[in-house]
Amino acid sequence: MRDRSFSGRVYRWLLRLYPPGFRENYSGPMEKEFRDEVGEASGPLALASFWVRLIADLAVSVPAQLSREVIQDAKHTLRLWSKRPWHAGFAIAALAIGIGANTGVFSVVEALLLRSLPFQEPGRLVLLHQFIPPHDSAKQFHDWRKQSTYLADAVLFEEIDLNLDAVRGVTRAHVAQTSGNFFSMLGAKLFLGQGFDPEDDVDAPGVGLPGRNAVAVISYRLWQQLFGGDPKVLGATIKINGSPLTVVGVAPAGFDYPNQAALWKPAAFSPGNNGWGTIARLKPGISWSQARAAFAVEAEQRSPEPPATDEFSLRPNMSSLQDGLAGPFKNASLMFMGAVLLVLLIACTNIANLLIARTADRAAELSLRSALGASRARLARQLLVECLLLSLVAALAGLLVADWTTSLAAKVQPPPLGAQSYSLLDGRVLAFTLTMTLVTPLMFGLLPLLYIRRIHAFPTQTSSATSGSRWVRESLVVAQVMLTVILLAGSVSLGRAFIQLMRIDRGYDVNGVVTVSVSLDGTTYQMNKRQLPYFEQVLDRIRRLPGVRAASATEFLPLYASSFVGGPFGLDGRPAKRSSSMVPVMSGYFQTMGGRILRGREFTDAEVRSGAKVAVVNERFAAGFGAPEEAVGHQLTIGNETPWKVIGVVKGTEYETDPTTASGNQVFIPSVSPGSFSSTFVARVDGRAQDHLAMVRDAIQSVDPRVPVFSVKTMQQRLDEIFVAPRFYRTAIWLFAGFALLLAVIGIYGIVSHAVVQRTQELGIRIALGRTPAQLRTMLLFQGLLIVLMGAVLGIVGACLTGRFLETVISGARTVDWETAVSLVLFLSLVASLSIWSATRRIAGLDVTSILRSE
Amino acid sequence: MSPKDQSATNDLTPLSPAIFHILLSLGEGERHGYAIKREISARTQGKLKLGPGVLYGSINKMLELGLIEESDERPDPHLDDERRRYYRITAYGRKAAQAEAVRMRELVQLAAARFGAPRHA
Repeated sequence: MRDRSFSGRVYRWLLRLYPPGFRENYSGPMEKEFRDEVGEASGPLALASFWVRLIADLAVSVPAQLSREVIQDAKHTLRLWSKRPWHAGFAIAALAIGIGANTGVFSVVEALLLRSLPFQEPGRLVLLHQFIPPHDSAKQFHDWRKQSTYLADAVLFEEIDLNLDAVRGVTRAHVAQTSGNFFSMLGAKLFLGQGFDPEDDVDAPGVGLPGRNAVAVISYRLWQQLFGGDPKVLGATIKINGSPLTVVGVAPAGFDYPNQAALWKPAAFSPGNNGWGTIARLKPGISWSQARAAFAVEAEQRSPEPPATDEFSLRPNMSSLQDGLAGPFKNASLMFMGAVLLVLLIACTNIANLLIARTADRAAELSLRSALGASRARLARQLLVECLLLSLVAALAGLLVADWTTSLAAKVQPPPLGAQSYSLLDGRVLAFTLTMTLVTPLMFGLLPLLYIRRIHAFPTQTSSATSGSRWVRESLVVAQVMLTVILLAGSVSLGRAFIQLMRIDRGYDVNGVVTVSVSLDGTTYQMNKRQLPYFEQVLDRIRRLPGVRAASATEFLPLYASSFVGGPFGLDGRPAKRSSSMVPVMSGYFQTMGGRILRGREFTDAEVRSGAKVAVVNERFAAGFGAPEEAVGHQLTIGNETPWKVIGVVKGTEYETDPTTASGNQVFIPSVSPGSFSSTFVARVDGRAQDHLAMVRDAIQSVDPRVPVFSVKTMQQRLDEIFVAPRFYRTAIWLFAGFALLLAVIGIYGIVSHAVVQRTQELGIRIALGRTPAQLRTMLLFQGLLIVLMGAVLGIVGACLTGRFLETVISGARTVDWETAVSLVLFLSLVASLSIWSATRRIAGLDVTSILRSE
Repeated sequence: MSPKDQSATNDLTPLSPAIFHILLSLGEGERHGYAIKREISARTQGKLKLGPGVLYGSINKMLELGLIEESDERPDPHLDDERRRYYRITAYGRKAAQAEAVRMRELVQLAAARFGAPRHA
């Protein structure tokens, strides 16, 4: 007898909120009671109060019953886990690494690519690459930016490390000289003061003139460091390279663009200064494609296409400031995101496999239970709770992995802006982790769940369900092998790119070289034009140190290509096809660095001291004019300057870090006024370079302790610093690939050993029919290898596709070739064979008679 | 009472008021859910009215704990609805109720010693 009244239907509907087990047992009596009570309630008031009590009862008891069942399922899960702690531990660890690495890498992607920059309307800011607007004078630049049809405003900035007089002696500070509209264009409100404006820009060489131009906005941090956060800082004086600047503003906390700048000052324009960077804001209403088109036209007009032979010239282009800041890290981060997603996917297939295997083992028990009335939904929920619990525990453990990943990433590729620091405590990152935690159980739980449906639908046909599960599991292993091959191929590709990067002939011997940078800017040596005597005195002391074989100095050390000077040098008045960088060096430089002189010789002490017009050119420059060795004796020319006589040709010294842009034209001239830019002493020593660092530094400081000495490092350390990111990428991808391989091997082992258990009877009969265990094991080996091969072939196809992507992301990475592909497949087959062979070792010990008896 | 039962019933105390009242009701004899509920309401002068969810939630829990069991006998087939389920108290349930009563008595004695016995309860 069912209650067909409206209220009865409503109550029946509400009862569905209870978990199915509870509903099955009690919905009958509850409905009956409901009818009785409704019948007893007299009048609308009583009825209303009855309903209120009923709803309150539901509100209390539904969550109680639900959580009760979930807790029961969770307890059940923990019992399962404690029975097979290795399985559970492995699944949790694999997932924790997967989820953790994903979270960590995502926090980097979020900071670099998704978090909006701390500027006004950051989406409209652009970075112009390989393009400097007219900049011979302040007026020229400001006129240009005002007449632009597609830019609302534009800013020039030049970055340079300069000496800053601090409380405790002189330190180095990252300074940006910017056009006066810098802060207003970015829309950054100064924390204190008015800052400077375009009228403060001047036309002058170097970093400026006294007066209006000699002002500075300092960073919030510098304000705290130098002035202790004194609000009366405006009007105070700080000394940069010995010249006083008046503080006219304090930047807002965290503002450090560009490149952790500590100080900004109005620009000094001079013709020929090509060190400027350009950022701009798009005009309102102008779309990105319109702006790009307009920019392309302008870039074309101002710098026509270079000769096609010049593969090193980069074309001007426009990117969003966000992408520009992320630079190469953008692609690297995306590549990593892809790699860690693959790892997570592999971990998921593995766990799915594990769960299906276990569910298959329990198939008989489960079909019995479902026959006894435990509903399919209940079984499914039990599995779901187990999956959720698994991912929850893994996500918590994964936070440790994520934290480690994030701090590692901050070391390897520090964020370009302070406001972009990598953090796990970010809304988007937390949402991502939560999504991962909820989605991964579906990824590895879905197939086992579908499998449960099969059991229930055909409770008697367990064998068909089992073979179905075998098919699913084998497909999972195929997928797993495929993903593993993709990762392995990627790791080989990256590894090769890295080896190539390391094997590049840098043109010098990195071992046994000590390097120490100094700056004479703002010191008495610079003011009295006595830089050279200082350098000679220091070199004299270094050369007399025990264990030092040779010493010299250069104004630009290899690997530090920034703030280069150079120009359109030529030979005997014939210009070279592309401009050359100019490196002033002291005597004995090539000997010290282990460079190779192909023809002629390098500078002598006397030539450097007298400022002789002699030069050494690199092989590439000389090759532009015929046989490289024949350049010796010719005249090195540029514009109307007095020519230099070429006295030597050297093997190119690698200045760039990126092999694709490396080895441009280089000319070396005697260093007549060293001490600016990044002047560095170099010394070749016997034995380990590290052991001589302190000694060389002390020798330099003994000449004059007031000269700031910094970057006391071996050349190898500098190289390692430069290549920390590629080295890290390689190592990380290798680790991921190794991890994937481990998971794949475990997956293969699992499926084969499970097949042995399930086919025990069949195998027993085969043995009874005369097969030897070895024959059976071989049969299983081939069956297993077939699965591996299918996955491997798919994996190679996938690797070719992802390889194309890798080529665009990592310079030097190449798609896998056939040799690599074949060796990868062979390697994987070998590992898989070992795994299969050990998984089938049970067969040898099968007791045929007992198997047949049970049959 | 075996020492094991003793410790098990002690682990259950304090019983929730709903469970204790249900045990009290079933102490008199077999009842179905609705009857239990009405009896509790009467005993407490309407102060404790168990909603169906709480009632059957408690019954479910008590069944699992073994405090009560379902009875197969139907007292009066004519009056009975097949959807009604009857319950009876188990020996273990009686012990749990006793343990709870002892706990309450000790509490009452403590309160009396500290505050004095009330003139009328």
